Amino acid sequence: MSASLEKGVRVLKEVIDAPIASYFSSCVHCGLCAEACLFYTETGDPKYTPIHKLEPLRRLYEQEYTLLGRLGKLVGLSKPVTDDELEEWKELVYNSCTLCGRCSAVCPVGNDIVYMVRKFREGMSASGHAPEGIIGAVNRTVTIGSPMGVKLPAVKAQMKHVEEDYGLPIPLDAEGAEYMVMLSSMEIINFPEYLAAIAKIMHQAGKTWTLCSTAFEATNAGMQIGNSDLAKLLVMRIVDGAEKLKVKTVISPECGHAYTALRWEGANLIGRPFTFKVQHIIEVLGEFQEQGLLKTEGFETDKLTFHDPCQLARRGGVIKQQRNLMNMVSKNFVEMPDAGYMNWCCGGGGGASAIEEGEELRMEAFKKKKSQLDVVKPDRLVTACANCRIVLEEGLEHYQMDIPVLGLTELIAEHIPDQTSEKGA
Amino acid sequence: MAISNDKEFKSALAGLSASQQRQVAARFVQRVFVLSGDVRVKAALDFAARADITDADLTVVSQAANSARVESFTQCGKETDWTAQGGHFVAKAAVACVKAAEPADNLAWEAAMQARMARTCETVATGEGTENTEAEEQYRILEAFLNS
Repeated sequence: MSASLEKGVRVLKEVIDAPIASYFSSCVHCGLCAEACLFYTETGDPKYTPIHKLEPLRRLYEQEYTLLGRLGKLVGLSKPVTDDELEEWKELVYNSCTLCGRCSAVCPVGNDIVYMVRKFREGMSASGHAPEGIIGAVNRTVTIGSPMGVKLPAVKAQMKHVEEDYGLPIPLDAEGAEYMVMLSSMEIINFPEYLAAIAKIMHQAGKTWTLCSTAFEATNAGMQIGNSDLAKLLVMRIVDGAEKLKVKTVISPECGHAYTALRWEGANLIGRPFTFKVQHIIEVLGEFQEQGLLKTEGFETDKLTFHDPCQLARRGGVIKQQRNLMNMVSKNFVEMPDAGYMNWCCGGGGGASAIEEGEELRMEAFKKKKSQLDVVKPDRLVTACANCRIVLEEGLEHYQMDIPVLGLTELIAEHIPDQTSEKGA
Repeated sequence: MAISNDKEFKSALAGLSASQQRQVAARFVQRVFVLSGDVRVKAALDFAARADITDADLTVVSQAANSARVESFTQCGKETDWTAQGGHFVAKAAVACVKAAEPADNLAWEAAMQARMARTCETVATGEGTENTEAEEQYRILEAFLNS
């Protein structure tokens, strides 16, 4: 057994906790999780059945923690986990699982399969079987602080662009601000309009807010690869920034895993409660809307539909707010089949979009989204996740569907009356 | 007409017809085209610069430019090449030049903003600070266009 495999197997044994043991022992092999996974439904290949993606972990659990499994291992009836097997499973654990949680939602015995996949990824990562694309993102996170290599000067350049071209101030390191706004690398690089939208919305709402120079990046590559030490480090960076600036609320950007990492996993990762509240930007906009702080004018009249990001809607339970916001600015908002809690993933979450060798499979899986869109035939597609947005654009381009994609925060901001200085417009 | 700030700039652009907006927008984007080099983007700019462009032409070049835009996104988790990202914003600006126009659209303003973003990416890539004079250059281009 190689040193890396030994380490990986040790980690896998360690991650088998009480929930995982109970999940494996209660699985009734019904196969419902298969029908909930877009990688299975769109390929028909049974290897993409979610619970099957955990087979090496299941075997290890039986061999180590059940009487029959131990006996089987003793007499050679149960195969040991090998490097070759884990390498083969890499595609199943990373490329074909976006941690979307649909399988967990349908499991009749309540097994949280996503939780299990994430734990399995810890062993895969420790044994050197994570995909190169995600390893690269993790290395950049460790050495530079951002999975896409974004440094503070690049953020400052975007801030300056927004300040000069939209005439709105972008506060940095403002102590005592009510909100600390986080960004994902994707927003800094591809969608600087998001920052302009935030500035416009906060200005209208009369709220104080700030970016933090030591914690602007919300993405958590540790969660995606399966490295809880790194995930903890990245959460701690945000906690340190928020506590230093004494903010009341940290806003997670339009990025699914950033939200899950900070809102639902963060306090457990660092082992203590936060001294501040964590909200997704859509939750904040929903609150502003309820409090009458969000005043829009005009309506979109073309047919719009909304793609629910999995981490926001299914894993995070945020479903009503985005619909209220859509109806605030649209006269023709239609729902796709399965919208909301059971929406189908874009196919690129959980780090999958960073895996080049998984692209062909992603496009195959995108047929599910295509089928949802074919039912409603929208003029434009709105979402609230920067990663979903690009994966959707790529899928639509691949299938030659002419449906522009836009972010909900930006759409709302477009309907806020101009209120800027002489420089801006 | 002298233009000295974005409010005047945006207002002047809004006063132009869609065809005029495309023509002046193409001039904004041509200044940063070097960051892209994509033939589909170039074709879009060449067509946008013409006063006699037809709807059929627009459809064809718009689809091609949009493909260039989608293909040049920096994907989640990938290392950022800021020069290439500048090319993405050039493509995005070119799409604005040739997209189907609604009455309320200000295509040229949209293209101008994306062209500035492309220049911002270039300054990040070169590490030469964040100073750029793209906005002022665009004011001069619009003044020349209006006076021609």
